[in-house]
Amino acid sequence: MTDATATATAATVTAAAVRGGSLAARSAVQASLDAIAATDGRINAFTAVLAERAHKRADLVDTSPRRARMRLAGVPFAVKNLFDVAGIPTLAGSKIEATAAPARRDAVLIRRLEAEGAVLVGALNMDEYAYGFTTENSHAGACHNPHDLARISGGSSGGSAAAVAAGQVPLALGSDTNGSIRVPASLCGTYGLKPTYGRLPRTGSYPFVASLDHLGPFARNVADLALCYDLLQGPDDDDPACAQRSIETTADVLDRGAGGLRVGVLGGWFREMALPEALAAVDRVAAALGTSRLVELPEAQRARAAAFLISAAEGGALHLPDLRQRAHDFDPHTRDRFLANALIPAAWAVQAQRVRHWFARRVAKALQTVDVLIAPATPCTAPIIGTEWLEISGQRLPARPSLGLLTQPISCIGLPVATVPLWGCNPALPHLPIGVQLIAAPWREDHCLRVAAALEAQGVCSAPVAALG
Amino acid sequence: MDHTPYIDAAAATLGLKITAGQRPGVTRFFTLAAEMAALVQGLPLTPADESGQVFRPVSPDLGEGAP
Repeated sequence: MTDATATATAATVTAAAVRGGSLAARSAVQASLDAIAATDGRINAFTAVLAERAHKRADLVDTSPRRARMRLAGVPFAVKNLFDVAGIPTLAGSKIEATAAPARRDAVLIRRLEAEGAVLVGALNMDEYAYGFTTENSHAGACHNPHDLARISGGSSGGSAAAVAAGQVPLALGSDTNGSIRVPASLCGTYGLKPTYGRLPRTGSYPFVASLDHLGPFARNVADLALCYDLLQGPDDDDPACAQRSIETTADVLDRGAGGLRVGVLGGWFREMALPEALAAVDRVAAALGTSRLVELPEAQRARAAAFLISAAEGGALHLPDLRQRAHDFDPHTRDRFLANALIPAAWAVQAQRVRHWFARRVAKALQTVDVLIAPATPCTAPIIGTEWLEISGQRLPARPSLGLLTQPISCIGLPVATVPLWGCNPALPHLPIGVQLIAAPWREDHCLRVAAALEAQGVCSAPVAALG
Repeated sequence: MDHTPYIDAAAATLGLKITAGQRPGVTRFFTLAAEMAALVQGLPLTPADESGQVFRPVSPDLGEGAP
């Protein structure tokens, strides 16, 4: 491997080269920094590039006596800017937090990756306070889709997906409250994993909705995604929602494929709210997996409404002090929504939590007879930046919230989901990807990832680096 | 339904000032939330249907996790 190709290479390959001594961690990191310098003027994925820190860290990897055992030795990665990074303020996409005190230490998940030799190279663009699906951030500027610069990257972890799709880094971390990993993974054509709610600790990340917040990885192949996820696992007492579960590795079971797993296709809401390209992607995956079984989840629309209200109530309450004192400093894309959310009656939020539990029990019953459910990740491919409306199922719907129509019912009940990218599903826009959700029962990330690996091996899914020239 | 009286009363109670420029957006988004509320309130539940929000007590053994 040459230094110049290091960031376009799988993380596992880079790590093996660094472990074996044929590639220096410093070279791998420099290749990432060079890729960012060459492309980010067009993408706007990064809000901070941490070259000095990254060089120091890479040198530590190169001289470490543990280097030959580090599973991500020298692998560059970046994080959504709601992760604490020691020495800089945690922006969470806002202007308000820019004057906050710098973080005193890195988020737990950053520490876990760096303990395995990975090297943080920067922080990434996002929707303000994670409240959006487009990353049209008014403070930092819009994040552009690497596969079509006129289009959105999706959000709220738009910078994370775009940085991976652009070949700036092989791995990135993001968060997903209502779809914020799955939506940008779909629109930018990367793999993404939203683990089970409570699987990964959120310690050292800026919250949005404590009841629904998840963290997870992005990658350009399933082996990288699974390895990164495995290294992120483990309980942490400082996140009260984090389960006390031991590490359950997945990278070592990917070669089992989808054999023996019962797969169903979600119907009802999940087909009604999808445009033809999304249905084509799901049908292609279903055909590859040899399933025509249709599964209906009861009241998915009400589950989506529950997620909407829980997010509104918790998000509005979280930002109430700033809404009182400095509402004018919020992004115009989020300000009026946060103000409205602060007014939500308690009865709505309480009922939403009860509906959430009701729905979780019904879906658990459905998951007694099927191991993996398939659904589109987004209703459509990436819209043009600034798009206000979408036509879905004969309805004219506001574009920005509607990108989460198909992800919200699933994150509402915390199920693990791997998003896999397909191409050419919209004949008019063959250069654009669209993602499919592979959904499993709680704590069965292995099932999602095994199916993802099988689809990748069949050539149904892929996540190529965007041709940016 | 006109949500204006509720918006004005709730905002005053919470100490929020909603400017003339913010009012159309706030009203639009609150109306959308009300539509979502109608959906969740339309699902018949019984008193036995628990909340999805579960609290976990904090053990004194948790170090930094304890106050």
